[in-house]
Amino acid sequence: MAAGGSQPPAGDLANPFAGDSTSATDGSKIFSTMNCDGCHGGGALGWVGPSLVDGRWRYGGTDGALYQSIFYGRPKGMPAYGGVMSPGAIWKVVTYIRAQPVPSVVPTQRWPGRETTRAP
Amino acid sequence: MQLPSLALLFATVLQGTPSQDDGQWTMPGKDYASRRYSALAQITRANVTRLKPLWSFSTGVLGGHEGQPLVVGSTMYVVTPFPNVLYAFDLTREGYPLRWKYRPDVNPTAVGVACCDAINRGAVYAAGKIVYNLLDGHTVAVDANTGRELWKTQIADMGQGETTPMAPFIVRDRVLVGPSGGEFGIYGWVKALDLASGKILWTAHNMGPDSLMIARPGTFTGGANLGVSTWSGDSWRRGGAPVWGWISYDPQLDLIYFGTGNPGPYNTEQRPGENKWTNSVLARRPRDGALVWAYQFTPHDSWDFDANAEMILTDLVVGGRMRKVLVTFNKNGFAYTLDRATGELLVAEPFAHVTWAKGIDRRTGVPIVDSTKVTGASRGNVTGICPSLEGGKSPVSSSAYSPRTGLFYTATNNLCMNFEATQVTRIPATPFIGATTPYVAGPGGHLGAFIAWDAARGRKVWEIKERFPVWSGTVVTAGDVAFYGTLDGWFKAVDIRTGREVWKFKVGSGVVGAPITFRGPDGKQYVAVYAGIGGDWFLLSGDVRSDDPADLRPPADFAPDLARYTSQGGMVWIFGL
Repeated sequence: MAAGGSQPPAGDLANPFAGDSTSATDGSKIFSTMNCDGCHGGGALGWVGPSLVDGRWRYGGTDGALYQSIFYGRPKGMPAYGGVMSPGAIWKVVTYIRAQPVPSVVPTQRWPGRETTRAP
Repeated sequence: MQLPSLALLFATVLQGTPSQDDGQWTMPGKDYASRRYSALAQITRANVTRLKPLWSFSTGVLGGHEGQPLVVGSTMYVVTPFPNVLYAFDLTREGYPLRWKYRPDVNPTAVGVACCDAINRGAVYAAGKIVYNLLDGHTVAVDANTGRELWKTQIADMGQGETTPMAPFIVRDRVLVGPSGGEFGIYGWVKALDLASGKILWTAHNMGPDSLMIARPGTFTGGANLGVSTWSGDSWRRGGAPVWGWISYDPQLDLIYFGTGNPGPYNTEQRPGENKWTNSVLARRPRDGALVWAYQFTPHDSWDFDANAEMILTDLVVGGRMRKVLVTFNKNGFAYTLDRATGELLVAEPFAHVTWAKGIDRRTGVPIVDSTKVTGASRGNVTGICPSLEGGKSPVSSSAYSPRTGLFYTATNNLCMNFEATQVTRIPATPFIGATTPYVAGPGGHLGAFIAWDAARGRKVWEIKERFPVWSGTVVTAGDVAFYGTLDGWFKAVDIRTGREVWKFKVGSGVVGAPITFRGPDGKQYVAVYAGIGGDWFLLSGDVRSDDPADLRPPADFAPDLARYTSQGGMVWIFGL
C-alpha cells in the first residue's frame, strides 16, 4: 500500500452512521482487526502514529476528512485503506473515533503520580 | 633484573593484556567480538570526576538516536534516524566543522512501516567506505573521504512490512544486513552484500525449508526442515524472526553470530509449534551463509522475547575449563553463556526478575515454563508476567565486556506486564501484532538498573538502581570506567571496581544510544554519546514530542513523570578531561 497522494475536497461527505453507538462499537472492533491499533495504539491514544483522541488533527477532524485520511492514506506513513476496507467499514471506524471523548484536561499541564524527591 | 620484568608480565596477565588500541571506533561493537571495550586509559576511575563537556552538535532530527558515532582517523561519522543524514566531522579543526554531509534520498513512507519510531542503529567502516542502512530498505556505501554515494542496494521490501534500522556488519568483503518487521509478519532473513559493488551475494532465511535457510542435510539432529515442521501450515511464511540487532564474528571459527526476533503474530494460537528459528542465535559462515548451528532461547514465544541482543565473544573459565563462549542478555530475563563453537548451553541464569519460567534446563536448553503465564487469544488477560516485552534488557542497549575484570556491564529494565492476545489479520505493510500489554514496575519500584555480571558463574556482582528503565548501550575502558545514559537525560560514569556512580552530566534528552571512546588527533582520549530519546520510548513516555500540534499524549501510567525530564531532540556530545 502506498501512503500519501492528493485528496479531493472532503467537506461534503456524509457519514451514514453518524452518532450511531452500535456502529461505533463495530468500528472499535474494526479498528483492531484492521491493525489500526498497531500504529495508533489501544484506545487510539497514540503510539508510533499520532493520538486520535486528543481533539487535534493534522488533516482535519470532520467525518469526511477522517474518511479521506483512511481511504487515501496520508504522508508520514498512514497507509491507504481504500483498497482493503469497504466504505461502510471505513465509516464505522470514523464513527468510533468521533465517539471518543476528548480529555478536558490537557495532559501536559501536570504530571500525576509521585513527585521527584531527588536533588537535581 | 629478571624478577621485576617477570612480575610486571604476571601483573599484566592478571589485569588483562593492555592490547594495542588504535584509538578508533570503526564498527558498532568496537571489535568483531562486540566487546565495546577500549584499551584507552587516560580517563580513569580516579580522574573521571573532572570530565567536562567539550563539544555538542544538534543533528536537526528528533527520532530515537540509537547506535553510536564512528571515529576513523581524524573524522567522526554520525548517522541520524530517518531521514538518515550522514555527518562527517573534522576532528583536527576547532569546533569540529563538517567535512561534508550526505543526505540520502529516502522514502518517507518508511516511517509508517517502522514499528517503533524511525530509529537508526549506526554505520560501519571498511575499505574507505561508510556503510549503513536507510530506513526504507536500502543499504548505502559512501566514500569516507568525499561523502560521495558509491552504491545503493535495495535489500528489503517495505510492501511486506520490512524496514532497515539495524547497523550493518562487515566481515572482509561481506556486508551483512537484516530487516525489522517482527510486528509486521515478515519472513525474516539475513543477506550478504559485496562490499565493493553492493551486489547481493546470498540471502539466508531464519525459518522455512532447509534450502531457504542454507542449512545442509544433517545440520540438526532433530531432523530436516525444522523451520517448517515447527510451525503450523505455512505460518512460517509470515512468522517474523527479524534481524534488527547486532552481529559478531569469530575469525578463528569463521562464524558470524546474530540473534533473531519474535515470531508473529503475538497471538500464539495463530502459530502452534516451537517456531524455529525465531528468538534464536544463529551461527553462519560469512562466505556463503551456511548455517552451522542454532539455539532457540524462547520456543513458541508467548511474550515478544526477541533475541536480537548483542552476542559478546570471549574466553572464560566455566566449570573449571577454559571455553570459547558467547554471552548474551536476552529479553526473557536470562543471561546465557554458550560454547560458540557448538551452541552448547553452559550457563543460563536470570539477571532480571523472571516469572514466566522457573529456569532453563541446562541439559536440553529448554525453558521450564510456568504454564499460567502462557498467553493466547483464548486465555484472556494473563497477568504478572516478568520481564515485560521491553525485555529484562533491551537488545538496543548493547552491553560491554572488560577483559580486565572478566565481567559484563549492562543496562537493564525492571518492568512486568499483563498480556491480552487477540486474533489478528495480516494485511501486508500494516502491523501484525494482536496483543495489549500494559506495564507495571517490577519488585522494588525502580524501573531500571545498571549491573555488572559474572557470565562464568551466572551471577550479578553489583547493581545501580535507576528510577527509569535504562535503555542506553555501554562502553567500558582500561581506565576501569563504564559509561551509560538514562532516559531522563543523564550521561554517567561508573567506577567498575566499586559499582559506584562517580560522574554525571545532563545531556538534554534521554539517552538510547551507545557511548564510544576514542583518541583524538591531539592524542587525548575522548568520550562521545548521542542524546535523543526515542525508539520504544517515543511510544511509551507520554508527551515527549513538541513538534506536532496535533499529537498530545497522556502520561505513561507506569512512568507518569518521565516527560518532566526529557523531550525529543538529537544531539551529539563529546567529553574530555
